[in-house]
Amino acid sequence: MTDSLAIHTSGLTKSYGQFLAVDSLNLAVPRNRITAFLGPNGAGKSTTIKMLLGMIQPTNGDAAVLGHAISNPTECSRLRERIAYVAEDKPLYGYMTVEQLIRFTSRFYPDWRADEARRLLIAYRLPVHKKVRSLSKGMRTKLALLLAFARRPDLLILDEPSEGLDPVGIEELLVELVSQAAAGVTVFFSSHQLAEVERVADHVCILNHGRLRLSAPIDDLRQSYRRIDFVFEAVPSARELIVPGIERIRSSGHQITVLTSRNADEVIRRARDLSAVSVEVSPVPLREIFLETVKETPGS
Amino acid sequence: MLWYKAWLETRGRFLACLITLTLFCFIFVHHAQEIAFRGDGPMRPGGLADYYRLLFVNQQFLVIMWVVSAVLLGMGGLVREKALGISTFTLSLPVSRTRLFGVRVTLGIFQAAALAILPWCAVFLASMSAGLPIRVSQVSFYVFLLLGGGLSYFAMAIFISSFVEGEYTAPAISFGVVLLTAIAFDAWLRPFSLWRLIAGDLSIDRRTYLLSPEFPWLGVSSSLAATLFMLLLALQRIRKRDF
Repeated sequence: MTDSLAIHTSGLTKSYGQFLAVDSLNLAVPRNRITAFLGPNGAGKSTTIKMLLGMIQPTNGDAAVLGHAISNPTECSRLRERIAYVAEDKPLYGYMTVEQLIRFTSRFYPDWRADEARRLLIAYRLPVHKKVRSLSKGMRTKLALLLAFARRPDLLILDEPSEGLDPVGIEELLVELVSQAAAGVTVFFSSHQLAEVERVADHVCILNHGRLRLSAPIDDLRQSYRRIDFVFEAVPSARELIVPGIERIRSSGHQITVLTSRNADEVIRRARDLSAVSVEVSPVPLREIFLETVKETPGS
Repeated sequence: MLWYKAWLETRGRFLACLITLTLFCFIFVHHAQEIAFRGDGPMRPGGLADYYRLLFVNQQFLVIMWVVSAVLLGMGGLVREKALGISTFTLSLPVSRTRLFGVRVTLGIFQAAALAILPWCAVFLASMSAGLPIRVSQVSFYVFLLLGGGLSYFAMAIFISSFVEGEYTAPAISFGVVLLTAIAFDAWLRPFSLWRLIAGDLSIDRRTYLLSPEFPWLGVSSSLAATLFMLLLALQRIRKRDF
C-alpha cells in the first residue's frame, strides 16, 4: 500500500449468498485529488463505501484507508476520526435540533472548526433551533455537509452529495469540494450527475456489477477517448477498422462511427487507406464514456 | 456526548414510565392505607401485618409496570437505527460499537434502577406522611429484588432488539416473550418463577408480611448471570453485524 493512495483495496469482495455485491475490487484512489466513484444503481458503490468505513465486513480481500487496515476494528475507529462521510440518504438524528446535532458531532473531532461551522450555518441558512426531522431534504443535505466540512477531515467520502440540493446549492457544493481539495483534502464521491463530475473530478472510477470497469485520471480519458465519424463512397466492412481500443463501431449508410478509448490515430490511418472521403474527430463527454463502460452486452 | 444522545433517545420513555410508576405507588399506598386503617392506625391488632401486606401488594403491581418499562427502555440501539436509516451516521463516528452498546446498556441500567428506587421513595414518603412505620431494610429488599431479578427482562429486550430489525417488531416480540415466560413460570416452573422472585413471593413471611432476613442470593445470582449472558450475546451480534 503506497502513501500516495488514500484508498487502496485488493480483491475486496462482498457476497450475500450467491449474489456478489462487490467482486474482487482493486481500487486505488489517489490522495489530495477529487475522485468520482461512478456506477449504475446496484453497482456496489454504497457497499464498497460501507466496507471502507467498517460498517460492513468484507467476505474476502482487504483494504487500507489513509494507511489504516479496515480489517482491524481499533484502526477502523481511529480512521473514522480522519474521515467525514455523508451517506446517500443524509441520515441524521431527527430528535435533535440543528444546534444540538452540531454540538454533538463537534465533540468527537479534536480538529473541529467552530468558525467554519458558523460560516456554513449562515451560508446554508440553517435554522439552529429547528428539529432535524422538520428540515427539508435539501436542508438536511446541507446540514450533513456542514458536519462533514467542519470536522477538518483528511478524506471526505460523499455518497450522492448533491441529491436534494437546488441548482444554487449544487453550485455551492461543487465550489466547496474544489476548495477542500485545494486545501489538501482527498474527496471521494459517488454521483449520478455526470456533468457535475466532469466539472470537478480529477480521477474517475467506474463500477458495474461489483467490478471495477475503469479507473483513470479524467484528463487521460478526455485525451484518449475519441468519437470518429467516417464517410466512405464504398462502405468497407467495419471489421477492417477494428484495432485494440475500439469500444464501439456503428455503421449507417455511407457513414461509420467509431468510439475509441485509444489508438484513434491508427483507426484514422486505416480509414484513410480504405479511402474515407471524410474524417471528423470529436472529444467524448464523460456521459458517453460512462454509458459505454456500463452498457450491458448480450448474455452479460 | 454518547450519553447525551442515549439520554435524548430514551428520556421520553423513561420520564413517562417514571412519572407513571411513582404516581401509582404514591397514590396506591396513600389511598390504600387510608381505606385500610380509617383512623384506627396500624397499631390496632394485626394492623402492622396489614400495612406490610399493602407494601407487598404494591410490589406485585410495581413488578408488572417495571418489567413493561424495562422492556421499553431496552428498545432502540443500532438495529433500530438501521430500520430508521440513521445507523450510518452513528457508525461513521469515531467510536467503537462496543462503546456505543456499553453507553446504551449502562444508561438503561441506571434508568431501570431509578424506576425501581424512586417509586419506592414515593411509598416511603407516603408512609412517613401518614405516620406509618416503614422500614428502610424492607424497601431496600424490594428494590434489590426488582433490580437483581428484573434486569434480566431489560437484557432480554436488549438481546431481542439486537437481532430483530423493524421499529415495532422488537417491542412486539419482547412483550410476547414476557407474557410467555410469565405463563411458563406460573404453569410449569413455579419453584423457579422469576416473577415470584422479583415480587417477593418467595421471600415473604405470610404471617407478618415482612420479607425474610435471608436474601434469595441463588435466584438473584442466576438471574444476573442470565442478564450478563444475554448482554454478551447481544454485544457479539452488534459487533459482527453488517449495517
